[in-house]
Amino acid sequence: MTQDVEMKEVAAPSNSTSSAVPSTLQHLKEIAALIETGAYAREVRRVVRAVRLTITLRRKLKASVVSAFLGYALAAGSEAHARLVSYLPREDEHDMEVDTASSVTQPPVKHSLPELEIYCYLLVLIFLIDQKKFSEAKACSSTSIARLRTLNRRTVDVLASRLYFYYSYSYEMTGDLAEIRGNLLALHRIATLRHDELGQETLLNLLLRNYLHYNLYDQAEKLRSKAPRFEAHSNQQFCRYLFYLGKIRTIQLEYTDAKESLLQAARKAPAAARGFRVQCNKWAIIVRLLLGEIPERTVFMQKGMKKALVPYFELTNAVRVGDLELFRVVAEKFASTFSSDGTHNLIVRLRHNVIRTGLRNISISYSRISLADVAQKLRLDSENPVADAESIVAKAIRDGAIDATIDHANGWMVSKETGDVYSTNEPQFAFNSRIAFCLNMHNEAVRALRFPPNSHKKEKESAEKRRERQQQEQELAKHIAEEDDDEF
Amino acid sequence: MDAKLTEVAQLFERFKAASIRNDFDSAANLLSQLKVLLTEFKSLPPLFEESPNAIQELTIARDIYEHAVVLSVKTEDQDAFERDFFQLKPYYTDTGSRLPPSPQEYPILGLNLLRLLVQNRIAEFHTELELLSSSALENPCIKHAVELEQSFMEGAYNRVLSARRTVPHETYVYFMDLLAKTVRDEIAGCSEKAYDYLSINNARQMLMFSTDKELYEYISEDHPEWEVKNGSVFFQKVKESAPSKEIPSLQLINQTLSYARELERIV
Repeated sequence: MTQDVEMKEVAAPSNSTSSAVPSTLQHLKEIAALIETGAYAREVRRVVRAVRLTITLRRKLKASVVSAFLGYALAAGSEAHARLVSYLPREDEHDMEVDTASSVTQPPVKHSLPELEIYCYLLVLIFLIDQKKFSEAKACSSTSIARLRTLNRRTVDVLASRLYFYYSYSYEMTGDLAEIRGNLLALHRIATLRHDELGQETLLNLLLRNYLHYNLYDQAEKLRSKAPRFEAHSNQQFCRYLFYLGKIRTIQLEYTDAKESLLQAARKAPAAARGFRVQCNKWAIIVRLLLGEIPERTVFMQKGMKKALVPYFELTNAVRVGDLELFRVVAEKFASTFSSDGTHNLIVRLRHNVIRTGLRNISISYSRISLADVAQKLRLDSENPVADAESIVAKAIRDGAIDATIDHANGWMVSKETGDVYSTNEPQFAFNSRIAFCLNMHNEAVRALRFPPNSHKKEKESAEKRRERQQQEQELAKHIAEEDDDEF
Repeated sequence: MDAKLTEVAQLFERFKAASIRNDFDSAANLLSQLKVLLTEFKSLPPLFEESPNAIQELTIARDIYEHAVVLSVKTEDQDAFERDFFQLKPYYTDTGSRLPPSPQEYPILGLNLLRLLVQNRIAEFHTELELLSSSALENPCIKHAVELEQSFMEGAYNRVLSARRTVPHETYVYFMDLLAKTVRDEIAGCSEKAYDYLSINNARQMLMFSTDKELYEYISEDHPEWEVKNGSVFFQKVKESAPSKEIPSLQLINQTLSYARELERIV
């Protein structure tokens, strides 16, 4: 099978090259051939490959090339052809003539495969989005989605999932995301009925994105918890899912789980997807602060993220010192950044942690301190700072943040002697939890080794195939990077 | 105006009158009649069909539900509040482009936040908060609830209590009273950990009782483990005893065995 593809790929250019360097159009024709073989052999993998190759061509697309390709791939009089051509801008008259002339020499494809038709939609859509013609893109994507509903072929699923993505993207760019929510839900239902897992995955993420765009965390969580889950097919969709999950959990105060999801999302995202990773890191930093942890300095010094994370670095600093005044200044200074990141409300929640850290510092430094001094050191500005300080200290003691008692008659906070921690069972517990973590990590790694995400392909990997796969992975990484640059 | 709309409007007037008279039974009766009538309007959520009277129908429906929410606060029925609020919510979120904003919107949203706080549904509280724009957060009614939550988390309980005096809307008082009870329990919980003992006087002030008798009743009902002697309340008994020195051998054996098992798997 593989040899077959290789041969086709080699053969295709030699058949038709008129110039030494294969033009973009030539590449597109090769991709079309790939899709055709994929469709006939019912091999989803080839279609996946075709989509990836298209993304690499993305920057080279021109109106003339696209319309020439449409002429090649679709029957001239067909409805789809007429409709798609109408989306393309009319320009470069000269160029077009040349290209159409060359395409005439090609034997025209008589039968039009649904895969090819959908692919043409995808190509035109990508082109329109790259040209920032979002209203045309909206129209084009809507018709393509309408067409997709009538198709039920596994080989279309891959193309369909890309189309869904761009469909939602073009609506997002024009700010009409709410309009398509019903459609997305219907598509998700169809995908579920057809066992199109890739489609389900993509659509679920798009829906989550759609809800979160409008801060509808409640609906997002309800959908997420009820939607069917299965092993992830696409790494990038899984990353997104984790990120959205992390966001939902943060809002719902499940910080420990949120931290896990966000850190995993940041780790799993390919190195090239910088915008996405920055976003994950921002949220992860806040969640860790809310948990009472202080993120290490290296988190903020990651390559290419330093600048974006500066506000969060200063924020962390304020929390670490436990200085309410500094915290307020930082929150005000970067207010616009925080509100555009959608983290403003979380930062309001952090105030409580700042007080706690400040209190812990005081409790460590002083064995006995008057509540008035505590209030002053924490810079509590209220009508009755001493009474405030007293109840705040009392709550901190109950929550176990500090080990102290209050002497109400004298208005003192008395810190208890910190006993020798090694005389308790504490070190043993800490040791145990670390060992458990390491063992768990090892087991997870072993499990991941045994069941790679593509385990349904049972063929053994030949050297040639491995090369192909590595190439594909590289393409994938690049592809995610581009996509995420678009998004953030 | 068609007949149905007139009928609803008339009934609504009677409902409003009953609710102002504090005649809760007849108000509740009229309200359920109104709700049944509202189901016949196709322009209301979730259908949102276009009809010539859509705007009037939406406005009157929103008014009715707003009054229903207020009524549920007056009758101190939290379940009814939740139901009516959820019926009202689509009018705020989904009709923004068609109706002018209601003056009652923020007070009612704030009231809902307060309810979530009282019921200790903090996750939902924050979910609701995310839906509000930054200008909404500046509104005194919303701000009141947000600040309450903050003070509550920090432990500044007297700020929570003093907020009762500055309620932005008269309907807030009911929930603030409920909150005061929650706060008292919180203070009692904190006190028993933070103090060795408190004089009766101080304890009474801190737990907001006006007489010693009330304090004794509270102690005997909710905290029988507290000890009252020599004019002071002693919490000492609640404190945990010092950690025992013996080695938790069984646990250690279990752990070591599990390490051995795991290591075997690796090697």
